[in-house]
Amino acid sequence: MPYRAPAEGVYRKKSPFHGLLEHMNKVRECISLLKEGVMKYFDGDFENFHKVAEKVSEIEHEADLIKGNIRAHLPRSVLMPVDKRYFLWLLREQDAILDHAENLAQLLDLRHTKIPEELKESFKKHMNLVAETVEEMERAIQNVKDLLETSFVKREREETKKYIHNVHRKEWEADQLRYEITAKIYEIEEKLSPMDEYHLLKIVDWIDDIADHAENVVDWLRAMIAK
Amino acid sequence: MLPFIIIAIAIFSGFYMAWNIGANDVANSMSTAVGAKAITLRQALIIAAILNFLGAVLVGKHVTETIKGKIVDVALMNPHSIMLGFLSALISAGLFVTLSTWKELPVSTTHAIIGGITGFGLIEGGLSVIKWSKLMEVVLSWIISPIAGAFLSFLIFRIIVKTIFSAEKPLKSAKNLSPFFIGLTIFIIFLSIFMKTRIGEILSYGTVEYIIISFLFGAIAGGIGYAIFRKVKGKGYEIVERLFKRLQVMTSCYVAFSHGANDVANAIAPLAVVFMIAWKEIDAMYLLAFGGIGIAIGIVTWGYKVIRTVGGRITILTNTRGFSVDFGAATVVLIASKLGLPISTSHTVVGAVIGVGLARGLDAIDLAVIKKIVYSWLFTLPATIVTSILIYMGLGIIF
Repeated sequence: MPYRAPAEGVYRKKSPFHGLLEHMNKVRECISLLKEGVMKYFDGDFENFHKVAEKVSEIEHEADLIKGNIRAHLPRSVLMPVDKRYFLWLLREQDAILDHAENLAQLLDLRHTKIPEELKESFKKHMNLVAETVEEMERAIQNVKDLLETSFVKREREETKKYIHNVHRKEWEADQLRYEITAKIYEIEEKLSPMDEYHLLKIVDWIDDIADHAENVVDWLRAMIAK
Repeated sequence: MLPFIIIAIAIFSGFYMAWNIGANDVANSMSTAVGAKAITLRQALIIAAILNFLGAVLVGKHVTETIKGKIVDVALMNPHSIMLGFLSALISAGLFVTLSTWKELPVSTTHAIIGGITGFGLIEGGLSVIKWSKLMEVVLSWIISPIAGAFLSFLIFRIIVKTIFSAEKPLKSAKNLSPFFIGLTIFIIFLSIFMKTRIGEILSYGTVEYIIISFLFGAIAGGIGYAIFRKVKGKGYEIVERLFKRLQVMTSCYVAFSHGANDVANAIAPLAVVFMIAWKEIDAMYLLAFGGIGIAIGIVTWGYKVIRTVGGRITILTNTRGFSVDFGAATVVLIASKLGLPISTSHTVVGAVIGVGLARGLDAIDLAVIKKIVYSWLFTLPATIVTSILIYMGLGIIF
């Protein structure tokens, strides 16, 4: 016979926010792995990239399970300190980062596209900026812990907003760079094969998508912590 | 010979009911502290047993009076029926609570005993013997008590947020505020003990004097608390939680005391009536002590299983939250006891948890569970009324 105090059933044993942070850790793991792999790929190391792509897929799947678990264990009628819809949208966008990371890794793995020498540095810088955008997003999400602990006091909200602001800035910088890279690709298109040109454009777009979704995450976070 | 048998049955059923209260209800009030790892299981048992006993003996009398004479009009019935009636109320409530514990239904022992008394009153004297206005008052207090619990815990948690978490130096503010909480708790407890209890009568001072004496006790306790907490050092919110962990030891005592004060009546009020008719009027103090011992035995023999399981689980109720819940619930229960209102400890605790949730203090509260609790709440009265009637008819055939 199980023993249980009825009053204890009122609050959930497992917090949905713990799940969110767990999911965020998967994003962190995945993006840092992808970044390392992509940097080597840009240098022409195609051999080892297959393993990276496989690992990215694996993490994406693990994160999917966490996401599903959070959704499945969030009752229809639940009292949360934040709007449940915003929370779910945030989770969805955070998961979209991984989806795009997986797509990118598979694209790179399917066709080994050589990056022209004159674009290499810009490509690397762009990848770095995107990874930094995600890192700032991670800081913002990480701060949810303190927000919850203090029941959303002003000091913690301001700190979260600071990280959110950083995400916007980094994402904007990444956008600018993507524009420059795209312009350069068109500039040197005489030298490129049509397939190479197509893939270079696609790679830079898909890397940039990751930052876009990181920005979406913090936009929902901003809405979530609004008074 | 006949009264002797009935007294024997009454003592047994009264003890059974008290045991039930200790076994089942205590977990609701002590689980937050054990779950938050503020106290160990052994400490919880000792605290619960001793302070439930003290609460029962010192403050339990008021609620006992209400249950004894204010639910049904005893003047309108013959003593023999009343005696059998209260006996059946006791047995039906005891059985119902045991069944509910087994079925994991979160019912209130208070609601069960009142249902039992109403049941026999209805069958013996009809609608006219039920004191509807008093019964309505009791039923209303069931609705009000969770709301009051919610309101108070909401307020306390907001105070913690405003004065500690919002502060420039949260730990420093926590150190300054915690003696105030300690003092307030001691003040309320001593005021309850002095006002309208035997101790108060013996000392025979006026209200103002009691307020001053209680205030002094509170101030001393607060001072001791300040001296202890002054030494706490550390950084971050975690250290604030650790400070509240110590405060929760105190609120656990507070909860146990209030619980004993309010719930002992559920077991001994019917017992007092049976004794009075079958034998003689027993000094309430002996009965309260008897009930207190029954609750303590219930805690030690069965309640520990409930508390242990709860304590072993990881909960998201941190110490500041647990403190707010305990403090809010215990205060409401103690005030209700002073007013002679039999309320449900379990439901007040549930209300207090919701209060902290509404103050954006909890990650997630399952409202479906609350709905279920409300259903079982509504179910308790009809169920105990019916079983009480059946037992009463059965006893009528035997005696």
